[in-house]
Order: sequence, then C-alpha cells, then structure tokens
Amino acid sequence: MRRFIARNAPAYAFLTPWLLGFFLLALGPILASLYLSFTRYDMVNAPRWVGLANYEYMFTRDRRFWKALNVTFTYVALAVPARLIMALGVAMLLDKGLRTIGLYRAIFYLPSLLGASIAIAILWRQLFAADGVVNAVLGYFGIQGAAWITNPDTSLYTLVVLAMWQFGSPMLIFLAGLRGIPKDLYEAAEIDGTPKWRQFTRITLPLLAPVIFFNLVLQTIEAFKTFSSAFIISNGTGAPADSLLFYTVYLFNEAFKFFRMGYASALAWVLLIIIAIFTAISFLTSKYWVHYENERD
Amino acid sequence: MMELTRRRLLGAVGAGVAASALSAVPAKAATRIRHYWWGNPERDKRTFAVIETFQKANAGIEVSGETIGWGDYWTKMATQTAGRNMADLVQMDYRYLFEYVRRGALKPLDEYVGKSLMIKDFDQGPIAGGMVDGKLYALNIGSNSQVIVHNTRVFKEAGVDVDLINWTWDDFAKACEQITAKSGGKVKGSDDLSLMIEAFESWVRQNGREFYGADGKVAATVDDVASYWQMWADLRKKDVVRSKDKTVILDPPIAESGVAVGDTAMSHYWSNQLVGIQAVAKDKIGAAMVPHKKGGKPGQFIKPSMFMSLSRDTKDPESAIKYMNAWVTDPAITKILGLERGIPASKAVRDALAPGLNETEKLSVAYFDAIQSKVGALPLPAPKGAGEVRDAFMRIGTSVVLDRAKVKDAAEQFIADASDIVERAQ
Repeated sequence: MRRFIARNAPAYAFLTPWLLGFFLLALGPILASLYLSFTRYDMVNAPRWVGLANYEYMFTRDRRFWKALNVTFTYVALAVPARLIMALGVAMLLDKGLRTIGLYRAIFYLPSLLGASIAIAILWRQLFAADGVVNAVLGYFGIQGAAWITNPDTSLYTLVVLAMWQFGSPMLIFLAGLRGIPKDLYEAAEIDGTPKWRQFTRITLPLLAPVIFFNLVLQTIEAFKTFSSAFIISNGTGAPADSLLFYTVYLFNEAFKFFRMGYASALAWVLLIIIAIFTAISFLTSKYWVHYENERD
Repeated sequence: MMELTRRRLLGAVGAGVAASALSAVPAKAATRIRHYWWGNPERDKRTFAVIETFQKANAGIEVSGETIGWGDYWTKMATQTAGRNMADLVQMDYRYLFEYVRRGALKPLDEYVGKSLMIKDFDQGPIAGGMVDGKLYALNIGSNSQVIVHNTRVFKEAGVDVDLINWTWDDFAKACEQITAKSGGKVKGSDDLSLMIEAFESWVRQNGREFYGADGKVAATVDDVASYWQMWADLRKKDVVRSKDKTVILDPPIAESGVAVGDTAMSHYWSNQLVGIQAVAKDKIGAAMVPHKKGGKPGQFIKPSMFMSLSRDTKDPESAIKYMNAWVTDPAITKILGLERGIPASKAVRDALAPGLNETEKLSVAYFDAIQSKVGALPLPAPKGAGEVRDAFMRIGTSVVLDRAKVKDAAEQFIADASDIVERAQ
C-alpha cells in the first residue's frame, strides 16, 4: 500500500485540480440535474417532487420533443458522414500534394476554430439569406435561389453545409492516420498495377479504420450536441416552423426561457442516454469492421 | 516611454494601493445599492449618467449598475432570484410583474409613498398598472403604447391622405395598395404583421374580448385568430406587404424593420421605440394608431413600458428608495432620462421636459396626447406561460405565412396549443 502511494502520489497530485473540478463542478451538477428531472422547478420556488411526470409528458404528450428528435437525428445522419467524407478528402489531398506546406494545414483548420463561434453563425445567416451571397452567386448562373434559411424545407441543409465546412479537427486526425500507413504498401500496389480507387478501398480505408471509428464516435457525439449555430441562425427559437429545433435548442428554451428546469433536466438525461446508446452501438459493431495493427496475424 | 524598473513598478503599485485606500475611506461609510436593468447602448449611456449624477448629490450612497439585453435579462434575473442574489432595484416589465410578486421576489412600496417616495403628481393609470392585489409593487418609469410607424415621405408621394388616428383596417389595406402601386412594387405598404401577437392582441380587443380572460385562461377565439391571419393572407395575395422571407425572421432588430430598411412604409412597434427607429431610418417617420374596426371597440392601450421594483433581497431599502425617488422627481435626472424609457407618469416632469424635446420626442408626445381618448383599458397582466404562447403564435403563424397550413386549421391549433401552454404553466 505504501509503495502504491509512493509510486502514484505525484500522479494524483497533478490530477488534483482536475479531480476537484470534476467533483465540485461536474459531478455535483450532474447529480442535481438527475434529482431535478423528477421535480417541477422554476428557479424561484423550491423544487417540487413529481416523480416520473416529466418523462411521461415528454414521451406521451410533447409533440415538440419528437419534432426536436426528428430534426436532430436528420442532422446527425446527414452532417456526420458529410463532414467525415470532407475531412478525409481534404486530408488525402494534404497528405499527397502539399505535404511540405504547413501553412495550408493551418488554413484548412481555420474554419473549425471559427466554426463554433457566434460570428460564423451570423455570417452563415447572411450568406444564405434571401438576398445573401449564395443567391447572388447562383444568380450569375441564371439560377433563382431559394430563401434558404427562412424556408423550412431547406434551412436544415444550410446547417449541414456549415457542418461540412468545419471539417478541421477530424481532418487533422485523418492526416495523422494517413501518415501512419506504410508507404511500401502503395508502392507494391503501384508495381502490381492496382488502380488508385482499389488502392483506396483495399489499403487506405482498412488501415484507416481505427481512425475512422474514432472520428465517427467523436463527431456523432458532437453532432448530437450541436447548439450555437442553430441557436443563432434561428434567433434562439428553432424557427422557421421548428425546422431548426435542435434538441439542445429546445432544451435551452425549456430551461432558460420558460424556466422549466425540471423538465429540461429530464430532457438532458434522455439526450445523454441517446448518445450513450449510439456510442455503444458504434463500439459493438466496430469489431466487424475495425481492425487494429497489433491484431493482425 | 518610461522604462519599467522594479522600483518604479513597486512605486506605481504602492501609489495605486494608496489611492484605492483613500477612496475606500468614504466608501466604507457608504452603503452600496445595485440597480439592474435591460437596455441598449443609448439607454445604458443615459442610465450610467443618472447614476453618476445621483452619486454626486448623495455622497453616502454608492450605486452599482448592471445591464444586459432584453433577451438574456429574464434568464439572469431568474438565476439571481433563485440564488437569492437579486439587485436592490430591478427593472420590471408588466408581463412579468405578477409572476415575480406571486413568487415573493418583490417588496411592496406602499409604506414609502409620501414619505421618501414622492409620487403625488403621478397620473393614476400608471400607478394602478404597478399594483398587484391592492399593493404597489412597481414604480412606473415611463408609459408606452402600440404604434404603427410609417414613412412620411412615401405616404406623401403615394398620396395617402387619411386620419391616422381614427383610421380603419380598410383604410390600412387601401393605403398598402396605393403605396405599392405608386412605387411600382419597390416599396410595399406594410410589414406583414401576421406573426406579431402584439398587433393581434389589439385585434382581439377590437372584437370585444381580451386575449386572456379574468381567470387567466385564453379567451381569444379560433375566429379571432382565423380572421386576423386571413386578412394578412389577403394582403399577401395582393402582394402589398413585405415578402415572406423577411416576415418569418422572428424578432428582427429595429434596424432590419421594413421602415428602417426602406422595403415598406409601415411597421408595428411600441411608442418608446420611435426614437430608436428614427435613428436608423433614412426618411422622417410618423406615428399612426393601430387601425380600428368599423364600429369596433378600442384595441390599443397605454401600458407602463417599464417599472422599477424593490427586490426581496435588498439590505438597505431606505437608500434604494431614495435612488428610486430621484428617478422620477429630480429634475437633473429626469432630464437625462428624457423619453427614452417611455412617457414619464409625472405631469411636472413632462412639463419640465417639454421645451427641450427634439423632433422625434415631440412626435411621441403629440401621439400620446392624440390617442388618450381612443385607447381601451389596460389588460390584466398576462398569466404564466404568456411568453411561450407568443412563441407558439409565431411558430404556427409561420406555417400560414409560408402556405403550409390552412388558416382555419392553424387557428384551431394555435388556440389549442395556447390553452395547453397556459394550463401547463400554472
């Protein structure tokens, strides 16, 4: 025991700030929100225990809850693959052609840094407005653009495009993964006369599988939590006609606009469970398509 | 530039400490009160000037001001209330007054009236608006009414010549057509007010009902909603109101309103916003009443635009009341405030302000005088959930504007949803 302490004490010393932060700033609120999810709480009066009423209302009577789920699932299904494909494509370009130019990597990463910011969401709203830049460009080609953001049929897709544009962080991870693939494999394939496309499907994708898996899990979780862009672009309401009612936007409004803290806590827990299920599914299916270097026989 | 040495640095720090210690001597004796309001740059500038003026005259009281935009104000206020950390004085809105009083977050002012709070010359209406269950909880710091802001140049060029105080919805529709025709469609008659529940509220009252009945339930009917949305649908069909794309942007800033941008000749606002709109509009603006119904009841009303309330968490009510009193009686302070928060409730203050008013301020005073006898009674404060009902109105109205729902179906859905929301909020 003494040896254990002696050996690990420095580690725990360094971990202390994080541990303190976790127990005081994260675990406490998490447990509080679990408790509050079984109450009615308006932030002024004391919370009142209502049992499962919040959850019951959510699943049986709340039409907007289902609408929010629908919007969020659609977004996740479209935005995650779109962003990963974009990220992988750019990573391969950078890996091959521009390998010496670090500046390009920085430039390509920039949208991701900016992407989460309020400013870009506002910019996005301007770009896709009825009299915005996108329609002006389309106008050059004689195409009459739609009112992208204010039309419920198209508003969600503008956010998918925004998500694609923020490919930076998965791209960097892909880039690192691509670097890890031994070049002699490609050289051998080249000598055998294997076409590029087959090289991609037979060498790049399988060897990159662990990285793809990592990115997939991370980006899915990210996508479920999308908030600021939808919040800003819809003026915080999920408008037009609830087409941008992301789960988190709905949750925020319930909590901070209508002061239903108990209900919002219940919503938050349901989101947590949804994300957990999706992550579990990814992990369970991964053994069929993800193979690690050290597993190869 | 002076070279920074360790000695100089220490010296500077020492001087700083000494200076702060010096100023701390009177501050130690002083009491500190906090004032919290929602604002915009113009209002904040004026309010901080008021604080400075007040502190100069009352050396013993230190006022610390906090401001934030309307959108986040109620969030932060609720958080502070939950944390028992409310400012001594908070800006209150009619819509939220009952809610905060019923939650026990405010202190009544009655015991100070006539002793340290001098409001004898106030109009009765504005005082009554701040009362809940027979007690005064909120001091009126400006009155307000709905207004149709219009572009006077476009009106003149289109030859629209009607009595803008007594006009009807038919006159309004005709004006829209005239303006659109005259400008060749470049300037539409009006912003599309389909999603504006404030304008709809006037409509319901013109039909002889309140939006919320005395029991706090939704009293507006499906017919009220359907007829309102139908009127705007007809105007859209004639293409004499602003385009759908602009309409479905909810709560756009003043600078994007049709009148400010020049897309349209009319928009709906609250009268204390006249100053703000004139600041961003190219042409001179005028003030018209919300159109009436032929033979209908008055729909518009004069409401307290903003209140100041004493919070439950105040530790020094005497100082707080002193500050509050200065807001509505001290000539130097009322002059700084002007009409930015609405029309002052005290006749003495109004008279004192009159000679110094600029053109837009004169316009709002003249408008106020003109509508006095045309408005209805102040509606009862909205029940809990009213904010959410407003959202539902905009949400469901959007599908009507975008032709995705039939007017009648949407109206039924709105009334059903609104009743649900109010019931759930209680």
